[in-house]
Amino acid sequence: MKLSRSWLQDYVDLSGITDDDISRAITFLGFEVEQVLRTGAPRFDLVVAGRILTRDKHPNADKLSICTVDVGPAHGGVRTIVCGAPNCDAGNHVPVALPGAVLPGDFVIKEAKVRGQASSGMMCSAKELTLAEDAQGLLLLAGEPAPGTPLNALLPPGDVVFDIEITPNRPDALSHLGVARELAAWFGKTLRYPDVSFTPAAISADPRPDLLASVRVLAETDCPLYTATVVTGVKVGPSPDWLQRRLAAVGLRPINNVVDIGNYVMLEYGQPVHAFDAARLAGAELIVRPAAEGEKITTLDGKERTLAAGLLVIADAQKPVVIAGVMGSAEAGVTTSTTDLVLEVAYFKRQAVRAASKRLGLASDSSYRYERGVDVHSLDEAAHRFIDLILAHAGGAVAGPSHRVGSVAPWEREITVTPAFLNEKLGFEIPAAEMRAALESLELIVTHEEPTATRGPAWTFSIPSWRDDLDRPIDLVEEVVRLHGTEKIPASVIQSPGLVGNDDPIVLFNRKVAEAFVGQGFHECVNYTLRPAREVAAWAPPAQVEALALANPFVEDQSHLRSSLVGGLLESLKLNQARGVAATRLFETGRVFLERNGALSECVAAAFVLAEETGERSWRPREAADFYTAKRHAATLAALAGLELERQPTALVAAPALGWQTGHAATAGDIQHGWTATFGLVDLAHLKALGLTGKVYAGFFALVSEKVEADADRRGYKPFGLQPAALRDLALVVPAATPAAEVQKAVAKHARAATGQAFALESVELFDVYTGKGVPEDHKSLAYALTFRAPDRTLTDEEVNVAFTKVQSDLAAAGFQIRK
Amino acid sequence: MQDQLAALLAKASAELPALASRPDFEAAKARYVGPNGELTALMKQMGAVPKEQKPVVGKLVNEAKTALQAHLDAALARLEAAELAARLGPAVDPTLPSPDRGPGTHHPLTLVREEMTRILRKVGFTVVEGPEVETEYYCFDALNTPADHPARDAQDTFYLPASARFGNVSKKNPGERYLLRTHTSSVQIRTMLKGTPPIRIVSPGRVYRRDTTDATHSANFHQLECLYVDKNVTVRDLKALLDYIFASLLGKDTKTRFRPHYFGYTEPSFEVDLSATHLPKVNKPWIEIGGCGMVDPVVFQDVGYDPEIWSGYAFGMGLERLAMLLYGIDDIRYFYQNDVRFLRQFA
Repeated sequence: MKLSRSWLQDYVDLSGITDDDISRAITFLGFEVEQVLRTGAPRFDLVVAGRILTRDKHPNADKLSICTVDVGPAHGGVRTIVCGAPNCDAGNHVPVALPGAVLPGDFVIKEAKVRGQASSGMMCSAKELTLAEDAQGLLLLAGEPAPGTPLNALLPPGDVVFDIEITPNRPDALSHLGVARELAAWFGKTLRYPDVSFTPAAISADPRPDLLASVRVLAETDCPLYTATVVTGVKVGPSPDWLQRRLAAVGLRPINNVVDIGNYVMLEYGQPVHAFDAARLAGAELIVRPAAEGEKITTLDGKERTLAAGLLVIADAQKPVVIAGVMGSAEAGVTTSTTDLVLEVAYFKRQAVRAASKRLGLASDSSYRYERGVDVHSLDEAAHRFIDLILAHAGGAVAGPSHRVGSVAPWEREITVTPAFLNEKLGFEIPAAEMRAALESLELIVTHEEPTATRGPAWTFSIPSWRDDLDRPIDLVEEVVRLHGTEKIPASVIQSPGLVGNDDPIVLFNRKVAEAFVGQGFHECVNYTLRPAREVAAWAPPAQVEALALANPFVEDQSHLRSSLVGGLLESLKLNQARGVAATRLFETGRVFLERNGALSECVAAAFVLAEETGERSWRPREAADFYTAKRHAATLAALAGLELERQPTALVAAPALGWQTGHAATAGDIQHGWTATFGLVDLAHLKALGLTGKVYAGFFALVSEKVEADADRRGYKPFGLQPAALRDLALVVPAATPAAEVQKAVAKHARAATGQAFALESVELFDVYTGKGVPEDHKSLAYALTFRAPDRTLTDEEVNVAFTKVQSDLAAAGFQIRK
Repeated sequence: MQDQLAALLAKASAELPALASRPDFEAAKARYVGPNGELTALMKQMGAVPKEQKPVVGKLVNEAKTALQAHLDAALARLEAAELAARLGPAVDPTLPSPDRGPGTHHPLTLVREEMTRILRKVGFTVVEGPEVETEYYCFDALNTPADHPARDAQDTFYLPASARFGNVSKKNPGERYLLRTHTSSVQIRTMLKGTPPIRIVSPGRVYRRDTTDATHSANFHQLECLYVDKNVTVRDLKALLDYIFASLLGKDTKTRFRPHYFGYTEPSFEVDLSATHLPKVNKPWIEIGGCGMVDPVVFQDVGYDPEIWSGYAFGMGLERLAMLLYGIDDIRYFYQNDVRFLRQFA
């Protein structure tokens, strides 16, 4: 909201207070100052009216003249001034900047010599004074002002406009009077209310039922109070200059005296008001009612609008003439030929005004105030002020008593607090007298005071009707600290009595992933959660894509929740490739949304991509990543969540493999059971469609968020043998489709059984995979290194051989073919 | 015998230093000291030496044996040295760069978040997480947001369709809609409902606003929020927290100031300004950094805490904004583009 300093001055004496101090006051009262604008002429010190007495050519410069100028006895009488303007003719009245004056742009005027001739000041153009854009010679002052008259006295007064943001809890501050009240409290001044002289007793003309016989309100809930006053015989014309200037300063275009006064009252009291041309109302009745579906109204902005059923309107006998609280119709508006007015001052509920404003996409200064909430208890005061100003500036007479429909319960609210309560909440002492004075300066008046044993006086404050936001003792804490000055809250050392828990396991997981992957040369990325449908379709099964859609996406590219982090990482790879930046290893942690047991689950996830190094050449090539690199990193992700990927059934991603390359990507785990991992090559066709060159391996791990667990309990120590180990190699031929993990598990199981209690199998490691000569088609040979060890002695060949033979025979008995 | 030994040593001293490989050495060694070696053969003749000469000849043989062993050791040492040298290859050019990838990097948002949580952990704040998909209750109702508040508009907040079902985001009321949380304050509510006071938490996380993406706006961004609930918590304590946080982050002489403001879930409420002299690319004395206030009694009532007993404060700020101020980054979109040239700058 824009506030004019000169307007505020009507209600609070700000003389002697700088604009900066007012800005600061507004800021620390809790209203952000967005900008401070200056209108009209700036303040010029030592710039006065002068009269040119003589003009002579400068002896050393063709284009310069030497003038004598009378600047008045107070400024040294007649001065000699060198001037380059073409119109410095004798007899002209012009502005003269005297030595010591500072013109806009910090241009300091001094006694000087211009081409050898003394010059004692400067005659100014409009441009030099920032009063106009062009500089066609000196500014000629009309009306033959007396030499020495300060220039500002000859110019229309300028103003300072504070553009401030009002928080939603303070609709009372959407008015000059409201902000003036705050400033008066801050600066310790008295608030001066406008003199309102109209009273309902002072009716000056007979009622005019021909113009307005009755008002009916058919929507009492949305319109609890409606008043309409008939004023006859007005003369519509331009507003007085001061009123026009004030409206223009705060950004409103002056229209005519009646419309301008309506706006003025709204900006003064915060109460929107409206004036109809009484002659243009059909029938002599106003009806406040819900609109019928499809009713039309052409609003003052010239647009025809079709109303939806239920929107609140004020209608005459035939048609809506106002969208209640939003905007009136052009048809019933006041024009220069208007002579009789109906002045509407009403209270509409915020919901009704918001519904209409939103539905029609039409906001106004009026709707803004109704939506924030106007003070119905100040309605009559604003209405009387409206009538006063109309009578004063448009003439006319009030024809009969106002029509008044509805009523509101009288306002009554009190809050009782003690100074001890306020100080306890603040944590520092403000003297009781200061607190009371601060609250009273905001017109919270102590109506009752009662001593308490230990907590000072219990004050009962009456709360003014415009402060609906103050309802509880705690609400007064802010009022007190606001006026005390929040900058004065004393510093102190932070108190942290012992109260330490563990960080959320999700945080710990993300942290560990970041440490591990950064350590492996991956760059951490952050991508948007909202993804385009086409990307989501590459990573979520078709049936789930729809479930991930937002109800109200903002842009097409961000319409779905993500079910994977890989899509985002590929986009990041793409961006880097497109910019010619080498990026091969990226990772991300974040939330994804996966279908689980028929509903979506929010999951904690981490993913990585490993791109083939396409653009990047190296003087010493390194081994390229492959599927098993991806598997290792995926297993790391699972391990950081305390899960063992290698112990889970792992299978190729089933076709259709969505974003994954058939035959080159695998999954382990199952989100239905809590977690899932997918890793391997990204589908080459998908990469091509994305415009990525080179192969990309990726891995993705997700865990239902409530299953992320803190670190496992500390594990016990198991002794490890210090005696020499015995090694045996064993190769098994199995069908190609047999999972290697199953074979390994079988080997370990039988080896463990074969050693019995005598000694132990320490490890089984796969060291060779072979297909080809000697191995039947569709089979593979898996060779394992078995390590045996005894805790207390060197194993003898004999005992190991006995066990190893048994392992082989047991495996053969279990259906495995031993490769000799 | 003596002559034979001398001849043998002479031969060995000529041959052994010239050996070029370990197999040659092993062969030569076998020729001298192997079971059929020349020295072995001479030593076998010891049996035939007359008894009175044995001490003398024995001494000669031992001397020869020692001398031969010395030749062998020397030869072996020389060969081993040569072998090590061969394994080394030529000297490296230490001025060439390593072709291996450098370390990865943490995202600047992670760095800022971790730094903030580290600072807060020192004074007892524990990091908590909450769901990004929320319900109207946790995001708005419980935070004293009126039913007709504009923030709830479909114009400003992302909603999931009415048919959406989430297995692990609980609803308070069956009729509520799911939405993407607009602030991390919802975590405060979940934490207070789940736990008992006193509580001291920090909740960093991703939030969503239905905004046009530009240099300062993003459809999702990150916030960090602190909540402290205890007995007798005051405005002064809140100020002490803010002073502590920013002095830790930017140096002892960093100042904060409060300006009164309005938030539905705190009373009184303040905006927090930071003295900006330590920040790059900021040429104002103060810059707004976040919002805070004392937890409104209504919020306590709603989660079943008695506001007569419990009091508390909350503080929230945007992490992108903080990172932009700390590093002098001028476009929020850079955080989400992941240009490696950007990412490398913060490690």
